[in-house]
Amino acid sequence: MEREPSDNPIVTEGLVRRFGAIEAVAGVDLSVGRGEIFGFLGPNGAGKSTMVRMLTTLLRPSAGRALVGGHDVVRDADAVRRSIGVALQDAAIDPLMTGRELLSLQAVLHGIDKTEGRRRGDELLETVGLTGAAGRRVGTYSGGMKRRLDLALALVHKPNILFLDEPTTGLDPNSRIALWDEVRVLNTHSGATVFLTTQYMEEADQLAGRIAIIDDGRIVAEGTPAELKSRVGDPTLRVVLQSDQDAVSAEAALLRLGEPVADSPGHVSIRLAGGASRVAAAARALEDAGIQIEGLELRSPTLDDVFHIATGRRLEGTAAEDAEPEEAESSAP
Amino acid sequence: MRQYAALSRRAVVNLLRQPTSVVPSLLFPLLFLALTSSAFDRSTALPGFPQVESFLQFVVATTIVQGALFGSIAAGSDMATDIEDGFFDRLVASPVARTSILVGRVMGSMVFGFMQAWLFFGITSLFGLNVRSGIIGMAAISLVSALLAGGIGAVSVAFALRTGSAEAVRGAFPLLFSFLFLSSAFFPRDLMNGWFKSVASLNPLSYMIEGLRSQVITGLDAGGLAAAAGVAFGILVVGTSAAGLALSRRLTANF
Repeated sequence: MEREPSDNPIVTEGLVRRFGAIEAVAGVDLSVGRGEIFGFLGPNGAGKSTMVRMLTTLLRPSAGRALVGGHDVVRDADAVRRSIGVALQDAAIDPLMTGRELLSLQAVLHGIDKTEGRRRGDELLETVGLTGAAGRRVGTYSGGMKRRLDLALALVHKPNILFLDEPTTGLDPNSRIALWDEVRVLNTHSGATVFLTTQYMEEADQLAGRIAIIDDGRIVAEGTPAELKSRVGDPTLRVVLQSDQDAVSAEAALLRLGEPVADSPGHVSIRLAGGASRVAAAARALEDAGIQIEGLELRSPTLDDVFHIATGRRLEGTAAEDAEPEEAESSAP
Repeated sequence: MRQYAALSRRAVVNLLRQPTSVVPSLLFPLLFLALTSSAFDRSTALPGFPQVESFLQFVVATTIVQGALFGSIAAGSDMATDIEDGFFDRLVASPVARTSILVGRVMGSMVFGFMQAWLFFGITSLFGLNVRSGIIGMAAISLVSALLAGGIGAVSVAFALRTGSAEAVRGAFPLLFSFLFLSSAFFPRDLMNGWFKSVASLNPLSYMIEGLRSQVITGLDAGGLAAAAGVAFGILVVGTSAAGLALSRRLTANF
């Protein structure tokens, strides 16, 4: 579903940001359609936050251009600011103020009048389930509550375009799933375009209609999650052997069913040509060869496989570095 | 206008909800007041010392200036905290007028400086302070205190915008302290001599404190008031210009 670039709420052409000799974003072309949830997936330090900071007018691009809501982020920064809602990973919420006070401050910053601001604030507190905590100082909120308030703050002025920079980093699984639901509901109800950065492939997979994978400042893959995964090809069949000594013969028995994939001792993996319908054939082939197995696992391709094919590295595991701020240099003066 | 008011209100709320930043700026000047008015009370009998009822009456103007100086550091350290925490980015990513980010903090300091002066008058009146210029003089002194607090607030905000570090801003505290000591804050210039007198005579704070002091010990004195307000206004102009420059530098450094 291609649109005219000018029609799309977020368009970048050859966008570059350098910090000294480092190119944090190295020529990114993107086009995000209206009403889309667009996932920007990549490991820590890949350039996600730098990209968001350029699109939200916090950082000037070194080269290329970006249009947000049809406005140039450099020449027409104020118009961009009026049309976007922003929840930045590293933008703290004043711990001394209450949730309700912050919402009304945010309304004022966006030029919304007092009565409307209050009405909108109450409505949003209800939406994100913070009505009960509205009068409490933000300093007493849990991580999940802060993120939900942050989401509400980004929505005060009913923006058409919403930027969420790592909205669930550091959250426990339950809060993460709750926030995903909120983003989905919001996207369905308001029709807002959502640009979401994340280092969690599951998050991108669950939420985004379309994904761009960024690594080292460059887009290495782009498409719907299904498209991206289908590029990886067939699912992987993993055989758990009773004895590691059977590894060679097991691989030989399975050779006609698919290409072998490297695995750990005691296991044999192949890309199962023809997918799930060939599992029975694989089991038979192993039985015919007299190989004792403990189990069979069929795994569909993941976005991690997509990342692996594109970069030779794994995304998985990078999430362990949650606490590390991404691209500290991007927030330096 | 509502943006300016909302950000000023936030600045005041920030101050009032952080007792650790407000209490020292109230307590230290009062401690100094208590200490000096008991220790130096007899110095008022020295030949050449202005005609005063007590050292308390002599030194209360210093207390108000000291409170305004110390209290306003919070404007800068709060601004630096906003930068460190990213709240500053939140403001910058909204269509709010850039100047309101600055003016909000300066106005917050001014409100605080004004309220603080009245608080000091209230407390010292319990100990027998008599302000010769009466309520009008006290109002005038409070207004000058507000101007000074705004000015020092702006200077500390400029420092915060340049360094982006709350710790660096708080590190400037001893500098203000020395600045105050090298003036006629605790002793009349007429009784000083040598380099100390020369330095105190060059220090604009001397003229400000003497101008305010004159309202307390002699009565309404337009000349003194004009000198004090002039110094405070000068600091405000220099401070806001520096802060404005620092703000635009910070905004253009990234953008």
